Amino acid sequence: MQASFLNTNQIMRQVIYALVLGVGAQIYFFGFSVLIQILLGCITAVASEAIFLRLRGQTIKPSISDGSAVLTAILLAISIPSIAPWWVIVLGVLFAIIFGKQIFGGLGNNPFNPAMLGYAFLLISYPLQMTQWPSEFLSITHASETIFGLSSIDGLTGATKLDYVKTQLMMGASIKEIGSISISQLWINIGFLIGGIYLLFRRVILWQIPISLLSGVVVMSSILFLMDSNHYASSIFHLLSGATMLAAFFIATDPVSASTTPLGRIIYGFLIGILIVIIRVYGGYPDAVAFAVLLLNITVPLIDFYTQPKVLGK
Amino acid sequence: MINAISTLSVLALLFGLGLGYAAIRFKVKGNPLVDQIDAILPQTQCGQCDFPGCRPYAEAIANGEAEINQCPPGGQEGVDALADLLGVETLLLDEEHGETKPKRVAVVDEKVCIGCTLCIQACPVDAFVGSSKVMTQVIADECTGCDLCLPVCPVDCIDMIEIKPTIKTYVPTLKELVHA
Amino acid sequence: MPNINFKGGLKIENPYPSNEIDLIRIPLPDKVVLPMQQRIGNQAIPCVSIGEHVLTGQIIATIDDDRCAPVHASISGTVSAIGNHVYAHQSGLKGLCVTIESDGKDEWVDTSIGCTENYKACLPLTIYDKIRISGIVGMGGAGFPTHTKMRLAAGCKNIIINATECEPGITCDAALMEAYPTKVIRGVEVLLHITGAEKAIIAIEDDKQKSIDELNKYCNNERIEIKVIPTKYTSGAEKILIKTLLGIEVPSGKFASDVGILCLNVATVVAMFDAVVENRPLISRAVTLAGSAIKEPKNLQVRLGATYDYLLSFVDLEEGSHKVTMAGLMMGINLKGTDYSVSKNTNCIFIDKVQESVVAQECIRCGMCNTVCPVELLPQQLYWFSKSENIEKAMDYNLLDCIECGCCSYVCPSNIPLVNYYQFSKALYKKQTQEKTQIEKARERFEFREMRLERNKRERAELMEAKKIALKEKMAKDKAQKEKIAAALERVNAVKIDNKEEDAS
Repeated sequence: MQASFLNTNQIMRQVIYALVLGVGAQIYFFGFSVLIQILLGCITAVASEAIFLRLRGQTIKPSISDGSAVLTAILLAISIPSIAPWWVIVLGVLFAIIFGKQIFGGLGNNPFNPAMLGYAFLLISYPLQMTQWPSEFLSITHASETIFGLSSIDGLTGATKLDYVKTQLMMGASIKEIGSISISQLWINIGFLIGGIYLLFRRVILWQIPISLLSGVVVMSSILFLMDSNHYASSIFHLLSGATMLAAFFIATDPVSASTTPLGRIIYGFLIGILIVIIRVYGGYPDAVAFAVLLLNITVPLIDFYTQPKVLGK
Repeated sequence: MINAISTLSVLALLFGLGLGYAAIRFKVKGNPLVDQIDAILPQTQCGQCDFPGCRPYAEAIANGEAEINQCPPGGQEGVDALADLLGVETLLLDEEHGETKPKRVAVVDEKVCIGCTLCIQACPVDAFVGSSKVMTQVIADECTGCDLCLPVCPVDCIDMIEIKPTIKTYVPTLKELVHA
Repeated sequence: MPNINFKGGLKIENPYPSNEIDLIRIPLPDKVVLPMQQRIGNQAIPCVSIGEHVLTGQIIATIDDDRCAPVHASISGTVSAIGNHVYAHQSGLKGLCVTIESDGKDEWVDTSIGCTENYKACLPLTIYDKIRISGIVGMGGAGFPTHTKMRLAAGCKNIIINATECEPGITCDAALMEAYPTKVIRGVEVLLHITGAEKAIIAIEDDKQKSIDELNKYCNNERIEIKVIPTKYTSGAEKILIKTLLGIEVPSGKFASDVGILCLNVATVVAMFDAVVENRPLISRAVTLAGSAIKEPKNLQVRLGATYDYLLSFVDLEEGSHKVTMAGLMMGINLKGTDYSVSKNTNCIFIDKVQESVVAQECIRCGMCNTVCPVELLPQQLYWFSKSENIEKAMDYNLLDCIECGCCSYVCPSNIPLVNYYQFSKALYKKQTQEKTQIEKARERFEFREMRLERNKRERAELMEAKKIALKEKMAKDKAQKEKIAAALERVNAVKIDNKEEDAS
């Protein structure tokens, strides 16, 4: 496997560029609010990282310019409801940067995926704000007013398709009655899929995690679907709803918190895929990516230890 | 309420029994801690730690009667290794017991030696070769650089020579290599 | 059929390409500075003195150890100095060197005695000794004494001649093969004869078409195969080469000779041929001079001990201060200035324009290093352990199997000098092991001394006891004697008194 010969800064930038299509789809369906969240997130990320680096006595410029803080902020901003109040993204990014990265020693030292840590923190602390998803296109003025609390969000929200499917299933409806994948989710996921394939081609990320994660999702959802196709959604649904594609190509592939051996990465990705489906179906939250990733982050040292490749001559 | 109390009590009892069993069944015989400490100490038997040799100092550390930073020949690395072994915070080497000198060996000035054998008796590792009225010299490979032979020589003919690194014995430091 | 593509490694473009790589013989240098400390073995002890006149090929320094090779004078002239001079070594330390001023005549020692063309009539032991006395060591960089290697591999089945020259930018072996293809083939034939091996494989990368053609032209021995392998860096690493050519994995910690394989660099084979058949010891070698500050790369055949400055006078060198690298871009070392001399393992000197040094960033655990390691280690883990000086864990992850090829450092996106970390850990491990052995030895001697003193005390005490008992016994015996005498006297006296009384009545 030939290396990509990019340096770290370039790698971060390529990942950010690859997100453009998916974010573009989000803007198309739901308006510019996601851009405001991204902006807020980036400012918070850079500011908090700079302050923390100063506190730690490190030089600021080289660490900020590597782009990893900005990437964390963008990923988190994409994952949360785009009409969430401004303080949600700010608190989330603060938590992610400070408790997810800086206290461990900065880039390269964090055991958990910082964006997902921030997301989990927000989900647990502010469940209301984190489950009010936009249901229609918002203009930029309307979006800013909503985010900054100048106008109310009543009538603008709806549950995500995943959420909707889950509640309907709980109420006893069958899959056929609920209907198929929502258009917005479909295109957003396709956008991230294309971005992810671009990253694979540029060899910014290696194939093991995305392929094994998607395989895990397919395998687990197929098993359930085959057991009872009336009460469990199909693999296609799981693949193209929620944050599956974002997770496969952008979140689980965060090299610092993922497994490092080739076989380990396959196991890591596969288990995340399986967990995503299990938590979605049996867990209490509509989307499961954050928890699945965080749980597997904990097992990484164990996976790494037991999947060392055979050394030449041993 | 009753359920909770009884469940926890039963669990506590089970775990307590388990721990007790493990404490007896897997007990480590003897006191290997002293051996482990002794293995880290440099064995110069010089006495700079205020104890009559490395083993007594090791025993004192194990009993908590001495600090881990009293051994200059072991250097700061030795203190850190002891701290690691005992699972405590490392300390700075206590300069009052002497300073860490680079590795040295003793050399006898053969023109001055009178063959009194006092140095042979003083050396804790028998690194001298010689006899009464016969010239005495140091076996460089065996000498640990403890300095104990210096004060006993009546004609002051022993010098401590520093061992300088050669191309073969050179060990680079991390700083040198990484910032090369 | 073993796979000639191995996992890991890198395809690296030649940074200094050139059309002409012909081997150029340059005139004799005015002086040579010959280092006494070779790469392997103890320091050689000079056996000449200042002011002595020496001939080309004369032994000027010997080592007590039979496994090592001596040092020869590479020109004829007068020994002008025996002193310390800086070595072309990472440490920048100085070491003992013998300097010879040339008399311009290049008078050789007698080269008529020896095995010559009739080497097949000589005993293997004679030939090994001839190789030893000719100062032949591995010229690919490791510098291992060739006669010892051959002796260890005696009875081997396969011989591999490493003509791959996989390190990018170096072309001295290719130049040598183009200039002396017959010597290469005949040298291999000498090897086949001495070792009794079944066959020999000359491994060569596919970017050296001219060398391949020349060798094929002159090779008509069925037992010699010229195998062309794909050009990829670390294809020439001994263990990798053995795996790709023969499918055999040399066990970790062991050598090629342990699995019945003799692997030699092609330049070593030519030098060995010169020694056995032409009775000429190792006194010169081919050196590649290249770099971004040198207009045209050149391969020069130079006498050992010639200074770098002398060599550089034959190339078009830019003005100004430069970065000097010896032994390649991947595995080479950086040197300060050019005040060094050519030794037996100097295969190249690169002079590059000074570039802004790149600052290393944090490791992002991307795992690129893991994908390129030809020995299939986990460089990333070794890096984290080396950084925290956790040598034990580094050893668990097979630190000593690292061949320091530099592939991992090359691909690291954060520009971390990974190989330097492993060099540090290995040196630290060596130091720690040595210290442990010394401490053990010191403890043993101390404990023995304590026991000896105890034993002396005890023996003296026992001796005193024994003496005391002996004395007591003696005294008791004396007492008994005395009592006996007293009793006898009494009896005698009693009899006397009785007699007196009888006489009186």
